[in-house]
Amino acid sequence: MLRRGLLMVALLACAGAATPDDNPFLPVAGAEFRSALPLDKRDAVRVRSFLLQSHPVTNREFLAFVTLHPQWRRGAVPMALAGADYLGAWSAPLDPGPAATAAQPVTRVSWFAAQAYCEAQHARLPDWYEWELAAAASASRRDARSDPAWRQQVLDWYSRPAGKTLPAVEQGSANFYGLYDMHGLVWEWVNDFNSLLPADADPEKFCGSGALTLQHKEDYAVLMRIAMLGSLRATDTGHLVGFRCARDAGGVP
Amino acid sequence: MKRVPSRLGGAIALLAISSLCAAADLPTDSVYQLGAQLTTQTGSSAGIDLYRGHPTLISMFYGSCPAACPMLITAMQAYESHLDKKSRARLRVLMVSFDAARDTPQQLDRLARLHRTDPRRWTFASAAEPNARRIAASLGVSYRRLPSGDFEHSLLITLLDSRGRILASTTKLVGDATFQARLQSATQPQEDTVVRSPASPGAALPLRTG
Repeated sequence: MLRRGLLMVALLACAGAATPDDNPFLPVAGAEFRSALPLDKRDAVRVRSFLLQSHPVTNREFLAFVTLHPQWRRGAVPMALAGADYLGAWSAPLDPGPAATAAQPVTRVSWFAAQAYCEAQHARLPDWYEWELAAAASASRRDARSDPAWRQQVLDWYSRPAGKTLPAVEQGSANFYGLYDMHGLVWEWVNDFNSLLPADADPEKFCGSGALTLQHKEDYAVLMRIAMLGSLRATDTGHLVGFRCARDAGGVP
Repeated sequence: MKRVPSRLGGAIALLAISSLCAAADLPTDSVYQLGAQLTTQTGSSAGIDLYRGHPTLISMFYGSCPAACPMLITAMQAYESHLDKKSRARLRVLMVSFDAARDTPQQLDRLARLHRTDPRRWTFASAAEPNARRIAASLGVSYRRLPSGDFEHSLLITLLDSRGRILASTTKLVGDATFQARLQSATQPQEDTVVRSPASPGAALPLRTG
């Protein structure tokens, strides 16, 4: 048993050595940024420079994590930290199997699990403003949100019918920062997912007339994301909800 | 009169046993599964399960909050004031600040004195990130730091059973009758322990397992 464990660690080490940076943390320059969130009642928020992983964490990457951290394996995680469907698409606790291929984004992970994964990488989940800033970029512009063509492209991604199987990561093109899949692949957990709506917001009203209080109604894709994240509980394990990690620009948070 | 010490002894033994059992099998949906660390008003560190073994009211706040947070503390005092003395003695109250930078132990202690809370049953504590965010996510509290340094947050009072499971919660600072009733029943002596009812001698309440 011990030998097998050592072998596994050795294999992981080799895999790591072969592709040391296959989900690198890429710099996103800080900016004064107008967010779609209504909360601060200001024109712009200040987002500091940070680093964000180039694509959503994959099944292969998450397998390495649960291999090293048995308490995060399916079946070992208490209900207080993840719903019953946690990693439900995997064949076994240490085998993603045919329904969850190596390069697909990992989904059916709770916010607690995503947070634990990032901590194990000496990283954290991005805050909403960070994610929103990074997701505002097209291939050529930092902030393409005023570009009707880009906006339509984003909306088209969202309205595309969801296939039975998720595509692999990095199938599209990278944005200005070199980030892949900010739109069109999975929803992504953010650190403050449960604080995006005003504390007294009625989620139903939010989706209807309440949405009129949001600052920039034209950003439908982003509003959908805010509404979706705001409706989640931290233990939810959605089949389309993945994540990627962030770091402070100065180094380990 | 002679029976009092023996009953006390029995209660202590039961408490000891039940806390051992709780350590062995914390419910899988218990908030105490978080293992989150706090700094209390005395400057010592404690787990989120500080009051394991007691029904506990838990709430999140920040100390420099001008209006809503003092109201929250007053509201919790009001809810517990409706309990009879013995029930109240069983209840514990944990106030967790998400503003660890400003809510130092000294500040928290000052707040406790200001509100004249019972130090044997109330603890003011703070949690640093990411613990604060974890606790908030677990309870369903939303909070966000505003550029001014203040926080926008939801007001939520949560009732935990002796092993950290959420029994009830309320956003109403006054007069939530359903919540008051849950608090009333959670602080009855039969919760999670085996006792003989003094009202009907010899009739043991059903043993609660699990």
